[in-house]
Amino acid sequence: MASIHLQNIEKRYGGFVGVQNMSLEIADEEFLVLLGPSGCGKTTTMRMIAGLELPTGGKIVIGGEEMTEIDARDRDVAMVFQGYALYPNMSIYENIRFPLRMRGVPASEHDARIRQAADMVELGGFLDRKPGALSGGQRQRAALARAVVRQPQVFLMDEPLSNLDAKLRQSMRVQIKHMQRQLKVTTVYVTHDQIEAMTLADRIVIMNKGAIQQVGTPDQIYSDPANTFVAGFIGSPPMNLIEGTAQNGTFVAPGVTAPCPEYVRGKVTLGVRPEDCHVGGDNVQGMVYGVEPTGDTTYLTVLAGTKKIEVKAAREYRSDIDVPVAIHFDPAHLYFFGEDGQRIRGAA
Amino acid sequence: MRTDAPSVSANGVATATPKPAPRRRSPALRKAFPYLLLAPALVYLLVITLYPGIFAIYQSLFVVKFLNWEWAGLGNYSSILQDREFWAALGNTALIGAISLSLQTGIALAIAYFAYRDPFIRGWRIVYLMPMLFMPSAVAFIWKLAFNDGRVISDLLGRLGLIEGNMDWLGSIPLARMTLIVADVWQWTPFLFIIFVAALQGQDQEIEEAARLDGASWPSIFWNISLPMMRPVIVVAITLRGIDITTMFTNVFVMTQGTPGGATETMSYFIYRQGFRMFNFGYASAASVLMLVLTVIIAQTVVKRAFHSGKK
Repeated sequence: MASIHLQNIEKRYGGFVGVQNMSLEIADEEFLVLLGPSGCGKTTTMRMIAGLELPTGGKIVIGGEEMTEIDARDRDVAMVFQGYALYPNMSIYENIRFPLRMRGVPASEHDARIRQAADMVELGGFLDRKPGALSGGQRQRAALARAVVRQPQVFLMDEPLSNLDAKLRQSMRVQIKHMQRQLKVTTVYVTHDQIEAMTLADRIVIMNKGAIQQVGTPDQIYSDPANTFVAGFIGSPPMNLIEGTAQNGTFVAPGVTAPCPEYVRGKVTLGVRPEDCHVGGDNVQGMVYGVEPTGDTTYLTVLAGTKKIEVKAAREYRSDIDVPVAIHFDPAHLYFFGEDGQRIRGAA
Repeated sequence: MRTDAPSVSANGVATATPKPAPRRRSPALRKAFPYLLLAPALVYLLVITLYPGIFAIYQSLFVVKFLNWEWAGLGNYSSILQDREFWAALGNTALIGAISLSLQTGIALAIAYFAYRDPFIRGWRIVYLMPMLFMPSAVAFIWKLAFNDGRVISDLLGRLGLIEGNMDWLGSIPLARMTLIVADVWQWTPFLFIIFVAALQGQDQEIEEAARLDGASWPSIFWNISLPMMRPVIVVAITLRGIDITTMFTNVFVMTQGTPGGATETMSYFIYRQGFRMFNFGYASAASVLMLVLTVIIAQTVVKRAFHSGKK
């Protein structure tokens, strides 16, 4: 159990900056998710915490000890890999046992600890199988057991669910969260899947192009995005971002008018989530572009000018295309972003 | 619907591009086609491998004095099995082969272990490969010069103060065998090295990283994980090399001619001597057949066993 401090860490590959000047405090027992598109530096950040890559600048402190230059094998950190990384030549039992052997845990403790870890991930009946004889979900659980068995200070998980099918992913997600709460181990989890991030995290760190965009609880990230990148990345379908101009408390774009605070002026971007848009009213005058029923909701796409606006409509909403439609925005949930993409906030 | 009807485009206007008539092959040609494709390989196999093989088996049943063939049944085989020179040659081959192969495997694995993570490996791979690219007989002559005729090695060892005067490399049985082993190791270690490096580089890097985080040292990763994962590759490579070594001829022919006292006479050299020095063609053929059978059995067992236990 340990906290992690990243102080101004940086990773450069020649001229390319993988991670730039990143500082982050991860509390003891926290479940932190690094979220971002591929190539945003999230995996590099995790690999630096693991010690698989050395930062080109900055400091890494784990559990109060500086670890920046310490080799991966001497950090008390366990990692679950995207491709499971089980040892194909060993049985599951030997796989789980390997970290105990390598770290000099007395042999008399091995069996009990291995069985306990295997039971935790419901893999007790598969201990004598080789990894090749297991399904993807079972392999991932074996990898989890191998990480759990030695009771490390920190868990690192690098997209552990991305090779699984959707149904399995959901059940594994719950299992991982349950296990983390049970073991109370500080966990850093890398993913590009926002649903995983929202459901698992105590706090989410959104990264893009090697830099942190926003740090916050899932609720904060969702309801109070710091910039257009975060606003557009979180949510499914993502927030509508409409470019226009604001003047005297009114936002105007082709086919769109909306009220805005007095301090929002000039060229701005209006952000509004699909669930805060309703059919009817007078904020948008457009044409129906498409209707997608999904069972529990219906997504409506409205063409206003050249901009497509996503609306979460009532479940029974149906319409032909090219029919005029009006949309109303919930005025309490409108977000305005400046030309630099940053959120415009009032003086208050 | 008729397939040759004019196609109608989406806007309803008929376009007048007639479809070309489908080509048909004659049924006879269609039947013969697979055999035609196989023919070159089959002809090659028959001429280069199968015919000489069958001829050798046939010849091994006769006492052959040039054009005079006398039926001997299994006579050649029974005399071979009582021939002390045959058993000596078999023992020499096994001993020289086993030492040489172990050394090659060990050295190749060691170099591969240190080299495979090297990003420059691509650049200097060719340097490792050089010995393999030379003609075997030329290599044999170089070593003959180095050891015996040119005394290069004696001179070097003398200057290092390890020996005095000239060593007579063919004067003692272990030394004479050693010269053959050195030459073989020098030329063929790169073959194993290149295969082992490829196998190591092909291994999933995540597994290595996982082992690192599990607390394993580099030697321990190699021993516990990389090496077991390489097992099938190692077995195949050693089998190929083993077959090659079993039929070792060039070095013996050029460097030692089987001296001293037949201590370096390998199976191939024994067969050559019987066939082309003593002109016992039937006898030589019988020895060849025995050797072929032996090689096939050993290779089969090794490969089968390695892959079988690897799968469990």
